Amino acid sequence: MEDQATLQSAVSFNLNGEPVLVEAPFGERLSESLRERCGARDVKIGCNAGDCGACTVLLDGAPVCACLTPTHQVADAEVETPAGLARIDRYAQRLTTAFARHGAAQCGICTPGMLASAVALLRAAPSPTLEEVQDALGGVLCRCTGYRSILDAVVAAGQGEELPVAISGGVGAASARVDGVAKLSGAELFGDDVAPAGAPVVKVLRSPYPRAAFTLGDLDAFIAQTPGLICVLTAADVPGENSFGVIPGFEDQPVFAESEVRFRGEAVAAFVGEAEAMRSFDPDTAPIEWREASAVMTITEACAAGTPHLHAHASQNVMCQGYVACGDAEAGLAAADVVVEGAYSTSFVEHAYIEPEAGFARVVDGRIEIASCTQAPFMDLEAVARILDVSPQQVRILPTAVGGGFGSKLDLSVQPYLALAALKTGRPVRMAYSRQESMQSTTKRHPAEIRLRIGATSDGRVCGFDFEGGFNTGAYASWGPTVANRVPVHASGPYYIQNYRARSRAIYTHCPPSGAFRGFGVPQSAIAQETLFDQLAAKLDLDPLEFRLMNALDNGVRTVTGQSFDTGVGVRACLKALAPKWRVARDAAQAVNAARVSGRSPLRRGVGLAAGWYGCGNTSMPNPSTIKAGITPDGALTLHLGAVDIGQGSHTVIAQIFAEAIGVALHDLSFVGADTDITPDAGKTSASRQTFISGNAARLTGEVLREKVLRLCNASGEATLEILPGSGRLQVLDGAQRHEIALREMPVDSDGYALAALESYDPPIKPLDANGQGDPYAQFGYAAQIAEVDVDMTLGLVTPVKFIAAHDVGRAINPMLVEGQVTGGVAQGLGMALMEEFIPGRSENLHEYLIPTIGDMPEVETIIIEEADAHGPYGAKGLGEHVLIPTAPALFNAIRHASGACITRAPATPDRVLAAINAAREA
Amino acid sequence: MIPAKFEYHRPDTLSEAVALLAHHGDDARVIAGGQSLTPMMKLRLAAPGHLVDLQAIAELRARGSVAGFVKIGATCRQAELITDESISRLCPLLREAALQIADPQVRNMGTIGGNVANGDPGNDMPGLMQCLNAVFALQGPKGGREVAARDYYEAAYVTSAADDEILTLIKIPTPPIGHGWAYEKQKRKIGDYATAAAAVLLTKTNGVCDSASIAMTNLGETPLFAEEAGKLLVGSTLDEAALKAAAKAAVAITEPAEDGRGPVEFKRAVAEVMLLRALKRAAGRAQ
Repeated sequence: MEDQATLQSAVSFNLNGEPVLVEAPFGERLSESLRERCGARDVKIGCNAGDCGACTVLLDGAPVCACLTPTHQVADAEVETPAGLARIDRYAQRLTTAFARHGAAQCGICTPGMLASAVALLRAAPSPTLEEVQDALGGVLCRCTGYRSILDAVVAAGQGEELPVAISGGVGAASARVDGVAKLSGAELFGDDVAPAGAPVVKVLRSPYPRAAFTLGDLDAFIAQTPGLICVLTAADVPGENSFGVIPGFEDQPVFAESEVRFRGEAVAAFVGEAEAMRSFDPDTAPIEWREASAVMTITEACAAGTPHLHAHASQNVMCQGYVACGDAEAGLAAADVVVEGAYSTSFVEHAYIEPEAGFARVVDGRIEIASCTQAPFMDLEAVARILDVSPQQVRILPTAVGGGFGSKLDLSVQPYLALAALKTGRPVRMAYSRQESMQSTTKRHPAEIRLRIGATSDGRVCGFDFEGGFNTGAYASWGPTVANRVPVHASGPYYIQNYRARSRAIYTHCPPSGAFRGFGVPQSAIAQETLFDQLAAKLDLDPLEFRLMNALDNGVRTVTGQSFDTGVGVRACLKALAPKWRVARDAAQAVNAARVSGRSPLRRGVGLAAGWYGCGNTSMPNPSTIKAGITPDGALTLHLGAVDIGQGSHTVIAQIFAEAIGVALHDLSFVGADTDITPDAGKTSASRQTFISGNAARLTGEVLREKVLRLCNASGEATLEILPGSGRLQVLDGAQRHEIALREMPVDSDGYALAALESYDPPIKPLDANGQGDPYAQFGYAAQIAEVDVDMTLGLVTPVKFIAAHDVGRAINPMLVEGQVTGGVAQGLGMALMEEFIPGRSENLHEYLIPTIGDMPEVETIIIEEADAHGPYGAKGLGEHVLIPTAPALFNAIRHASGACITRAPATPDRVLAAINAAREA
Repeated sequence: MIPAKFEYHRPDTLSEAVALLAHHGDDARVIAGGQSLTPMMKLRLAAPGHLVDLQAIAELRARGSVAGFVKIGATCRQAELITDESISRLCPLLREAALQIADPQVRNMGTIGGNVANGDPGNDMPGLMQCLNAVFALQGPKGGREVAARDYYEAAYVTSAADDEILTLIKIPTPPIGHGWAYEKQKRKIGDYATAAAAVLLTKTNGVCDSASIAMTNLGETPLFAEEAGKLLVGSTLDEAALKAAAKAAVAITEPAEDGRGPVEFKRAVAEVMLLRALKRAAGRAQ
């Protein structure tokens, strides 16, 4: 037995100005010591490898990654954490104000690292330039904002901007976030921040092979021999169904594999142990015998004759198919004057939110309570109840703040392990995925193999369109059926196409499950369609923008599913808004390139364009939201926020809509939730549905509650409400008349409200028939973007110079949040287009898997178009997914304009671009 | 097994540190900034029983210019190098390269000794030190010795330093006044290792090159000193043909491996571009 005394010792340092003495084992990371021994949960852990910078603290004033700093190295030093800085540092205070005003914190998980780095910069250079800010923040990754708002905020703080932060205004106001204060003070609690220090920890044993059979060894003996381990969980411990999924009928993923695994990273068992012991426990030391088998990793392999089936029910490994047809695609193509075609492939894309999946669970009065990051609390509740074989009433989900989701946190991750561990041990338990675990085991964007032929007549009209897409759905279904259904509906782009056929197939492989990722397959199909549109325009000798305008959808023109809209079709408005900028940028590129040719520069400027559309809400399926609000006897007006805000700002948008509808200021509201016990189901945060659907529910709830108030005092519709929290009164001013409602004298409902309302909204849709004809969505949002790039012709290096993004949002409920979504979406589109490629087993960390850094994001000019939607609240449409759909094809079109290189494979890494440049030169 | 439990030592003097290494043999590792070792320990690529922290040893942190040499103590941090006006004036190539290493947090903790000592082929400073013809001072139980950077690297993570030796000091011959320099690095993003990088130092008299030194990063298992390529330039007027010939000769000795940064031929193509750009900039800067 080793002498424990020699393996740890006390270390003293100053933490935020106060002396602390920390007893920690040698080699413990400062991030761990700060979070678990000093209570500094404002220090966030995103990767534990120095890649993301979320854990940045100031060590003697210099920003360092706390995860790469051994605690014993900070002896006698000064350590400052983001929360400490926010409390006492004047630069931090100026920065937090600027961050709030500029919308520079979205999910907020990177914000502490950004703020710490920015404080160090301002102390050294109080009025930094944009370039200096870019350099200083270069080591902190953000997945939400696209960085530009952060850059602007730091520059503004340096210039002494001290404008007040306004949380007010109804629809149309660029209000600061209602949940912004906690994100900026370091107080926000994410998935790994809620558990008490010292709670037992769960760690999962996962498959190192994409396909293998296995036999577990004597786990009881292993538990007995391993100090600190409490118990093990396997498939035998699952009381209910050992399976989960997000779509009824497709629950094919086991909580624990039973005898074989189908992807690298699949869970086999989980160990629960005491916190100190689990710090160094490695589940791979458990006794297990693996028998690796040959795996199929690609669509081609999975569909080859004789390939074994991953699942008995899926013949040829086809999980499901989608189909939309109108007119006669073959006849249309045969009649075309010009036909272009292409074969495209895209890669797995990792969501790479900076917060890995994490949570905490406990048993309270016989019920299981799970606090974790999630995008879909009620789906979690039902799935966990099914796994535990208990009634849904026995489960409570308490969503924590979510440090980025983008679709992947719709699926279960830590929840079943936490629930099973809490039930088996009877103790509160916690777990946080490591970065590798998160990247190995959670869902990805589907890699696509697409073949597309498009024909047009010589007058520039698209007359035939034949699309075929294979989507690698990985080992389990997840949201694969949604992708297969959505793609054929959207593959046309926002254009009128008379003769159309689109077929999609989702194919099982031994890869991690592909699921929901911002756009559900549409960004992949848009690459093929929008780049071929440029080729068609070239063949027809038409300007790319003119060509798109000639074919753009309009009000009253039917889509490929036969749906038509009387109002709100905004793609033409987006394109027209870009038109003057398009001509200026193309002319400027020509001038720049002429100078570069004569100056023998290897750079060439290119300007590309693409449009896109996206249907908001589930495809031809009901998806209601319910919103509740009430007025307490004290006079507080409380809005129940059942929709999960994953950083995009839905709490603020829904509150603004509700405030507008009831007729009060935003700052008059107080909030509760999300908590499945007290907030009604506002549906999942997915499919760009929260502004539209939950927004409508909030509007209805506001209107009904207002009506109830007015009726009580017989006031007119013009009356204004005055919320007076703590007073026990509610005042209604109706012209010269002042009514006072004595709330404390009123009976209260079961929630304790004197007045309350609860309303639901479910968008009107019609099912799709066998040819995919019907009304799949009640609204679409529209977009068009210009990308300007420099291509280094000798290196294949693509440097985006500027984006101009026109987005039809129907009505901008909050223009600041709209810009935040656009810039962040463009950044993810840029990543998908130029650098992001998840390779199972190879890029399971944030240094091999690249996401855009602050140095990669150029300026984004956002143009907000407001073509009011018939159904949206105040005309508003969803936006979250639309934002990245045009980005990759706009970039590829810009690359082609600059260099002649035809990009058919995403990402367009420098080696592929260089090869395409050389191929174009030879052609 | 339960991995990575170890003892931690924080000696105040170099002789104590050397004694600790001598006592614990290959079960001990030195740690300075921790930016390489900490991730390696997490991945269990390194599992030392004893860690010897060098940061309290004042003499290892000293730096300055003495008798024709720029001397940099092993635990001098990258950020200190970047802000050192005197060193940047004498040897501007150091600052130009240090600014391209990793990100601010790593530069604030990472030391120059840590960057050069381990033989990580991705690191930037080893190639730079070969270009500058630096000498590394090593201290072991039998005393001190010096090894030229050009002789130090044997294979990936294998160097000529013994397990019980500590790299204490880097001595760089101060480049002549009027020299030309450049470090060109192609990387995929902030914080990434080079896809290919080239360091160039040259001098010329009356328009004719009288010395040229070229080294490359991440194009083989070790940094690569392109001796023949440098020789090709001496006596030339550094005209385009001469630079191209030198770049080609340098590329000829590269042995890149295919990885996420691209296939072998692509890396060679990038290397040639980096070399040419570095050579042109250095030639333009030389007086």
